Amino acid sequence: MNSEPTTLLPGTLDLLILKSLATGELHGLGISRRIQQITGGTFVVKPGSLFPALHRMEEEGWTSSFWGDSENNRRAKYYRLTKAGRKQLEVESRRWGRISWAITQALQAS
Amino acid sequence: MPLLVKARSFLRNLFFSRRVDQDLDQEVRSHLQLLIDENLRAGMPPKEAERAARMELGGAEQVKERVRDKRLGNGLHSLLSDCRFGARQLYKNPGFTLTVVLTLALSVGANTAIFSLVNALLLKSLPYSHPGRMGAIYTRIIGSETSDKYHNVNGEQWELLRDHVPALISAVSGGTTGVNLRAGSRVEYVHRGRVSGHYFDVLAIQPVLGRNFSEDEDRPHGPRAVILSYDLWRNVFGADPALLGQSILLRSEPCTVVGVLPQGATTPLNADVYTPLQPSRDGEGRGTNFTAVIRLREGATWQQADAQINRVWSTRAGRYELAENPSANVSYHSVPLQKSETDPLRPQVLALMLAAGLILLIACANLAGLTLVRMLRRTSEVATRLALGASGWQIQRQFWIENLLLALVGGAVGIGVALLSLKQLLLLLPEHFLPVPNVSLDGRVLAFTLAVSILTSLLFGMLPALAARRVDLRSSMADRSSVRGGSLRLRQSLITGEVALTVMLLAASGLLIRSLIHLETLPPGFNPNGLTVGKASLDDVRYHDPAAFRKLLDESTAAMRQIPGVQNAAVGLNVPYEFVGNDWVTLSDGKEAGHQGGSDWVYVTPGYFDTLQMPVLAGRVFTDVDGPNTQKVVVVNHAFAQKFYGGGNPVGRYIDKDTLIVGEVADVPISSGLDPVAPIQTEQTMYIPATQVEGPLLVLLHQWLQPDWIVRTAGPVEGLTAAMQRALATADPNLPASGFYSMKDLLARTLATQRIEVALLGALASLALVLSAVGIFALVANMVAQRTREIGIRMALGSSIGQVMVQTGRSGAAASLLGLVLGLALSGGALRVMRSVLYGIGVYDGTTIFAVVLTLSAVTLFATALPALRIASIDPARTLREE
Repeated sequence: MNSEPTTLLPGTLDLLILKSLATGELHGLGISRRIQQITGGTFVVKPGSLFPALHRMEEEGWTSSFWGDSENNRRAKYYRLTKAGRKQLEVESRRWGRISWAITQALQAS
Repeated sequence: MPLLVKARSFLRNLFFSRRVDQDLDQEVRSHLQLLIDENLRAGMPPKEAERAARMELGGAEQVKERVRDKRLGNGLHSLLSDCRFGARQLYKNPGFTLTVVLTLALSVGANTAIFSLVNALLLKSLPYSHPGRMGAIYTRIIGSETSDKYHNVNGEQWELLRDHVPALISAVSGGTTGVNLRAGSRVEYVHRGRVSGHYFDVLAIQPVLGRNFSEDEDRPHGPRAVILSYDLWRNVFGADPALLGQSILLRSEPCTVVGVLPQGATTPLNADVYTPLQPSRDGEGRGTNFTAVIRLREGATWQQADAQINRVWSTRAGRYELAENPSANVSYHSVPLQKSETDPLRPQVLALMLAAGLILLIACANLAGLTLVRMLRRTSEVATRLALGASGWQIQRQFWIENLLLALVGGAVGIGVALLSLKQLLLLLPEHFLPVPNVSLDGRVLAFTLAVSILTSLLFGMLPALAARRVDLRSSMADRSSVRGGSLRLRQSLITGEVALTVMLLAASGLLIRSLIHLETLPPGFNPNGLTVGKASLDDVRYHDPAAFRKLLDESTAAMRQIPGVQNAAVGLNVPYEFVGNDWVTLSDGKEAGHQGGSDWVYVTPGYFDTLQMPVLAGRVFTDVDGPNTQKVVVVNHAFAQKFYGGGNPVGRYIDKDTLIVGEVADVPISSGLDPVAPIQTEQTMYIPATQVEGPLLVLLHQWLQPDWIVRTAGPVEGLTAAMQRALATADPNLPASGFYSMKDLLARTLATQRIEVALLGALASLALVLSAVGIFALVANMVAQRTREIGIRMALGSSIGQVMVQTGRSGAAASLLGLVLGLALSGGALRVMRSVLYGIGVYDGTTIFAVVLTLSAVTLFATALPALRIASIDPARTLREE
């Protein structure tokens, strides 16, 4: 496992955020930590990239947000997937699958 | 669905931006707090926990800014905030803002006012139904003298046009003259237009009451009929519908009222009553005395109409067009009525539009200079914004937005200026001067104003914006002095350019003013002071008899001489400055026998020359002895003697077989119909005793012209005009006068066009001068303000105040003088087109050039000296300490 954080490929941030929210609602830091966790620490999303993406996705209608209390009783803004968001996650996952398969094929070619 | 969500976000971002921002702020803060908590849980000391959290967050403001950038509707939102910022910037610099807005308002206002004239005269449709199907017939003559213009038609042409051109509905009219209308016990002097049948069909005007003239009524000696304008019907006859079919007394003859025109209906004649013209090939139909107007019939084309006109008019027996030009190729073609109606005014209006355009350029040069300086002053602000991460585009956009704001405010104020100046302008114009009923600011004019304002802002914003792109971050942070050689030279060339344009406008208006002065100060050849003149219409059956006419003249002039304060009284068909009729004369004796030529022609009573105080150069003037049955006599003027007798003494010579020339008098300026080269000029004229004019000629003359009753008083006489009207009434109680005026009024009316040209172009030239002065002033004032330190050093090193002032003011003066030279050179070429509207002076007029040079030098001196004087108040010690 590589412990060095890697810069995100373009277009993958949305997919990672959607994926992190698939299991349930999270606040911003939660999303960030979850991505870190599910990618084995490869991707660390900084707030400077996270928040613009979150707000954009909310405007797209993929997520919705609400204010709630965190595990240690702090006010925090939570995000969850909407129906459109779930659909988007499927679309993005399929797209990523195709890309990753294609790239792997390309690299294995001799 | 997603679209709906997006729309909601867009609206929320736009209208609840504060709440959205607060929400974001809380979110980022809570994120930080969560990070700190996390670090604390990991066992960090509180201070370290917070520092690490802030590190990870990477600057709360930057995060928020990045979110805002990505928001929906961010473009519009930041545009609005740029506008707010721009407005604040402008509000903080009231001097700059006020100068720019006023400059814009004046230049845009002048352009809007002139354009609304162009719009009303050249662009807007005439006030008739389907004006595009209406036209006038132009005569194109290609020969030794080539021309293509509107020409009146004679009786033969009219009959051919009426009967053999089926593609058109045609009509002719015979001008508007004053006649007497009796309504009950009152007699009114009203304007009568004589029109052929179908005239109102061509104009597409349907009477609101009754009908148009029948063909029978339009035949010579047909039944007498009259159609009233709505206003006359209401004001004189109380809008009585029973009037239709009744007989009213017009020219002392009973005429049947057959129709009333609708309210607000306008015709090119602008008459109160209309009577049938009854045109024929005889009488006035022998000459080209009819104005033709045509309308294309449904289904016909202009090509068909032109072919038909050419076919019938080219086979006429009497083709007068060929009289002076026998080998010429003459053809006819129809043009839209709009064009023929506005042709005479078109060059003037377009010249004014051009002048207004120059004003706009001058204003742009000024504003470019001002905004450039402002831009340079803001270099450090720009550098700071660039350093804080603003993009070049954002800086540019800020400037463009400020310019646009200025342009819009200036344009809005400009519309106000235009409204005011247009109102003044229309007050200046004589009634019915323009062939359109009104000049208004309509949608097209407002669109023009908006376009001009935006164009202006683009023009004057371009330079500073280009300059802003070159702002170099490091050097401008380090370098505090902001005026560099390059920008000074740029501003100087702007000043040079605007001064050159100003010089052209000044020279043009100077030439017009000189021309007007020439016309107004022509040697009068009579004493215009102390004369009062009133007209009455003798186009009246009671005066078809020469004896009745003579009796009226005798009794009325005698009664007027009885008015206390009146020194003398007379009647003449015309007075000086008026339009004068003309005729051919044949010399009958000596070596000139058989010579023919045109001469102006005026009948007068014996007292005419005395009353006008015209010097008698040779022989005698008329006396009461010259009657209908005595030797036929004439008095000629000096120009007549010059033209026909080579300056020899004309007294004792005979013309037209048996008419004896008994005297020679001085020339007076008249408005010529014979050979008009200027609005007023002196021309060969013969004076006939009123008693010797024959009956048929008298009838014809009075159909066209109304004679003048003239009295001379030593000084102002209280109630003179009422007394004159009463004196006229003692001779004929049913003879109303058209109104009374002085010779000064008459001159002003004859020269109305020239006066308006002078007033308009003069106003534009003054505006240009003011703008240039402001430009020069701003340049020098700016130099003083920015070189305070340098000036302080120089003075500390021993320069005198005078030396420094000259050195500082030189930049403005040099630019202005260069502009003066350039402007004079340009004028020499460009103003040659004015030759046709100049009288008595050439295009290269020494006096005008001298006046322009003097005016501009004085203004330059003033505009440079005023700001340079501030140098005197500079205290070297203090300026050096301040830096």
